[in-house]
Amino acid sequence: MSLESTGGATISMTGSRICATCVLPEIRPHIVLDAQGVCNICQDYNKQERTPLLLESDFIRILDKHRGKQKYDCLVMCSGGKDSTAALYFMKTRYKMNPLAFTFDHGFEQSDAIDNVKRAVEKLDIDFMFFKTNFMKDMFKRLIRSKSKAVICHPCSIWYIKLAYEMAARVEAPMIIAGWTKGQSVKQEVMSACGCNVHQPEYKAMAAETQKFLDEQVGDMPQYKGFPRSMDELLKQVKRSGNKAMVLSPHWFLPYGPDEYVKMIQDNVDWRYPAESYPRKSTNCSLNFISVHNSMRDFGYTHYHVEMSKLVREGVMSRDEALKNLDMNFSDKLLDGILGELDLTQKDIR
Amino acid sequence: MYVLGLSCYYHDSCAVLLKDGVVVAAAQEERFNRDKYSPVFPIQAVNYCFQEAGITIYDVDEVAFYEKMFLKFERSMLSHILGYPFTLRNFIDTVPLWLKDRLAVPYYVEEELRFKKPLWFVKHHLSHASSSFFASPFPRAAFLTVDGVGEYACASWGVAEGSSITLRKELHYPHSLGLLYSIVTAYLGYRVFSGEGKVMALAELGEPTYLDQFRRIVDIRDDGSFSLNLDYFAFNRGDKMHNRRFEALFGPARQENAELDDRHRAIACSLQRITEEILLKMARHVHKQTGEEYLCLAGGVFLNVTANSRIRNETPFRDVFIQPSAGDAGAALGAAAYVSHTMLGVPRAAPLRSCALGGQYTTRQIEVVLRNKRTKYRTVDPAALVDEIADRLAAGKVVGWFQGRMEFGPRALGNRSILAHPGSPDVKERLNLVIKHREPYRPFAASVLREHVEDWFEGIGDSPFMLEVGRLRVDKQGRIPAVTHANQTSRIQTLTREENGIYYDLVAAFHARTGLPMVLNTSFNEDEPIVRTPAEALRCYEESGMDCLVMENLLIER
Repeated sequence: MSLESTGGATISMTGSRICATCVLPEIRPHIVLDAQGVCNICQDYNKQERTPLLLESDFIRILDKHRGKQKYDCLVMCSGGKDSTAALYFMKTRYKMNPLAFTFDHGFEQSDAIDNVKRAVEKLDIDFMFFKTNFMKDMFKRLIRSKSKAVICHPCSIWYIKLAYEMAARVEAPMIIAGWTKGQSVKQEVMSACGCNVHQPEYKAMAAETQKFLDEQVGDMPQYKGFPRSMDELLKQVKRSGNKAMVLSPHWFLPYGPDEYVKMIQDNVDWRYPAESYPRKSTNCSLNFISVHNSMRDFGYTHYHVEMSKLVREGVMSRDEALKNLDMNFSDKLLDGILGELDLTQKDIR
Repeated sequence: MYVLGLSCYYHDSCAVLLKDGVVVAAAQEERFNRDKYSPVFPIQAVNYCFQEAGITIYDVDEVAFYEKMFLKFERSMLSHILGYPFTLRNFIDTVPLWLKDRLAVPYYVEEELRFKKPLWFVKHHLSHASSSFFASPFPRAAFLTVDGVGEYACASWGVAEGSSITLRKELHYPHSLGLLYSIVTAYLGYRVFSGEGKVMALAELGEPTYLDQFRRIVDIRDDGSFSLNLDYFAFNRGDKMHNRRFEALFGPARQENAELDDRHRAIACSLQRITEEILLKMARHVHKQTGEEYLCLAGGVFLNVTANSRIRNETPFRDVFIQPSAGDAGAALGAAAYVSHTMLGVPRAAPLRSCALGGQYTTRQIEVVLRNKRTKYRTVDPAALVDEIADRLAAGKVVGWFQGRMEFGPRALGNRSILAHPGSPDVKERLNLVIKHREPYRPFAASVLREHVEDWFEGIGDSPFMLEVGRLRVDKQGRIPAVTHANQTSRIQTLTREENGIYYDLVAAFHARTGLPMVLNTSFNEDEPIVRTPAEALRCYEESGMDCLVMENLLIER
C-alpha cells in the first residue's frame, strides 16, 4: 500500500490526487485541490495572518507560574516515543521542573517503548507512575466489528486525556505535559495558538464519525457510562470538575525538530527506536496500525497525514520526507497479531 | 558564567549572550520581527541566544542593560522643562513611552524572561567603550565613544587596561555630533537611522562650500569638544530638530524623494568634513592626554567609514580597533562585557575575530524550505562550489550568498551577502536600481583578499569588519568601477583564510579567473533587515533580479 509519484501529480493509494504542497489527498467536500493541485487547507494557511510565534520564553513564563507549588510541578504523559521522552527530558533538565512521569498501557503499548520510559525515569531520577488496563479493549473491539468509520485513536485520545486529567488531579499537578509536535494538538486555549483543532476541515469527517460511534454504539456498554462523546465534552467536564491543569507541549515552543532531540535522548537516556511503528520512526501503539489501516479504508487519509501536512507547512519537514514516513506496508502477520489480541481477524477490517 | 546583554526601546534592540566572557550568540531583534532598527524588547533575539547556547534563563547568572534609564529620563525631563512651552507637544508624546516601556525594563525582564535577580545598568557610553575595548586585541588602550546621546553624554573618552575601564571626560547633551549628523540627514530629506549612510555617500559627490555656515552652528575647540549653537535647532519641539533660522542659513529643507542638487551635495560634503574635523581633533586630544598607543572606537558615529580611516591614518595611534556593531546593538555586548569582566572579574577572552554570531541553518533545513516551496535546486559538491560560483561572478552574474551563521551588526560580511563582479561597469546601476532599489549614487563595498589589499589601495590595512575605506591606487583606477566611489575610495572588508573560510576561497577563485582579488559585497536584503532564514533569502532572491542563489552548497538558478 504505497503512495506513488506519477509525473507531476502524486496519487494516493486510493487513487486520489495529493496536494502539491502538503500530503493531504483530495477528499471532497472537505479537502479540495485547485487547478494547481494545491489543497484548500494550504491555500487558507497561505492566506492566514500568522499567529504570533510561540517562544520558549512564553513556555517558561507559564511553567514559572506553577513551579514549586505542589509536590509535582507537572505530570508528563510519556509513551516512550521520541517526542514524549524528549518532553520528559526537557522538563527535568532544561526547565528544571519536578515532573511525575505517567505511562498508561491499554494493552497495545509496545514493550520496547515502555522500556524506553523505564530507562529515562531511572536516568533522570523521576518519579514514575505506570497504569495498565484493559478498560478500552471492549470499545476498540466494538468499533472495529461494527465497521464504524470512527478513528480508533480518537476515543482513545479522549480516554487518555481524561485519565491524565484525573491523575493530575490526584497528585495535584498543575500542568499536564505531552510530547505533541507542532502538527498535533487538542483544543484548549494555548494549544489553539498552534492553529490546530478538531474542527478544522481535514478533521471534520473523522470527528463526526467518532461522535456518531460514541453516541450510537457505546450506550449499551455500562463500563463506558459517562464516557465523553467528544474532546469538547471532555474539556467541559474537566472545567466543571474544577480541574485547572493546563495541557502543554514543549515542542510547540522550541525551534528544534526530532533530528536534534532524538540525538539528545539517545545520548542522555539511552532512548531507542521501537522495532515497528507507523508513521516511520513514530508511534509506539500497535493498535495504531489498525487505526491507520481503517482510516485509509474509510477516508483515504489518516490523522498522521493531517499532522505531517502541518509540519510540512510549518517547514519542519519536507513533503518528500512526509510522504516517505507515511508510506504504508503492513504485513499480514503484523495485522493478524494485533487483531488477535482483540479476538478479531482481517475479515473484520475489510 | 552566562551574562545576557540587552538594548532596546530606542533603536537597534538587541540581545547578546556571553559565556565566561566569550560571545556565544548575538542578534538584533529586527532580524526576527523584520522591522528595520526595531526598538521593541528583543524577546525573539533573547530566545535565539539561549537556544544557540543550549540554555534557558535558569542558567543565566546576570543580565546587563546598556544604559541607566533613570538618568536618561532625568535628562529628557529637564530638557523638556527648560524648553517649555515649546516642548509641550513632544513631552506629551514622549511621556507614555517612558512610563510604558523605557522605565519598565526591570519589569519586562522579570515578566518576559522570568529573571528575578536585580539587573545591572551600565552607563551608555561605558557600554560603548566596553564593547570596543573588550573585543579588541589590546591589553590597554585609550577609547573614544561618540553617538547621538546616551543618558547625558554624547561623547566620552578614557583609558582601559585589563578588566578596568575609566571614563575621563564626557561631552553632554545637546552638544552631540551624532544628533547633528541626524538633524542634517533629516534636513536633506532622508530618514534618521537609515539615511546617515546615504548622506555620507552623497558627501563625496559635493564640494565643502558650506563649511562657514557649519562653523556658525558648531563651535569646535582644539580638543575636539564643541558646542552647538542652539539658536539653529529645535530639540524636543516637534518632528524636525532644525528651525527656521537653520533653513535661513542653509536654504530650504529637501523633501523626501525630491531631486538632489549641488546645494544638497555641498551641505552633505561640508557636514562630513566637519564631522571628520571634530573626530580627528578628539582622537588627537585623547592621544595627547593618555599617551596610549592604541585606540578603541565605538558609538554609532563610528559607522562613518571615511572618518574612521582618517582617524587611523592621521592620528598618532599605532593601531585602532572599531567595534563592528558600533551602534546601540553593540552597546548590549558592551554592557554584558563590562559586567562580566569589570564587575565580576571574569578574565578577558580572545579578541572578537568574527561577527558570525547569529543563527545558522543546516543543508537539510534549507532543503525542507526549497522542496516545500517547490523550488528547483542543485546540490553542488562543496569542493566544486567555489569554482562554479567564481565562474558565474566572473561572467558578470549577481549571486545571493547565504552561508553559515548570520552576522551581528549592520554589515553583511560574506554570510548573508549579495555578490557581484567589481569590475563590471553596469553592475552598480543594476544592483542599485533593479536589485536593491536604492539611490543610484550609492557605492558598494569590496571584500578583498588581505594579502592583496595594499596592492590595490592606499591608507588601509586590516579591515575585517568593513569599517574603513581605502584610496584606490592610481595605476588601478578604472578597473573596479562597481566598488569605487566618486572620490576614488572604496569601503573595504579584508579577508583571510582563517577568519573567512569558504568566502575567502570564493574570492581567491574569482581572483584566479579575473586578476581582481576582490568581489563586490552588499547586504542580502531589499529595503528591509538583512535576511536571516533560508525562506527570507529565497523570497528576496525571487523578488529581485539576482541571477542565482547559493545556500550552503545548494544552488538555485533562474
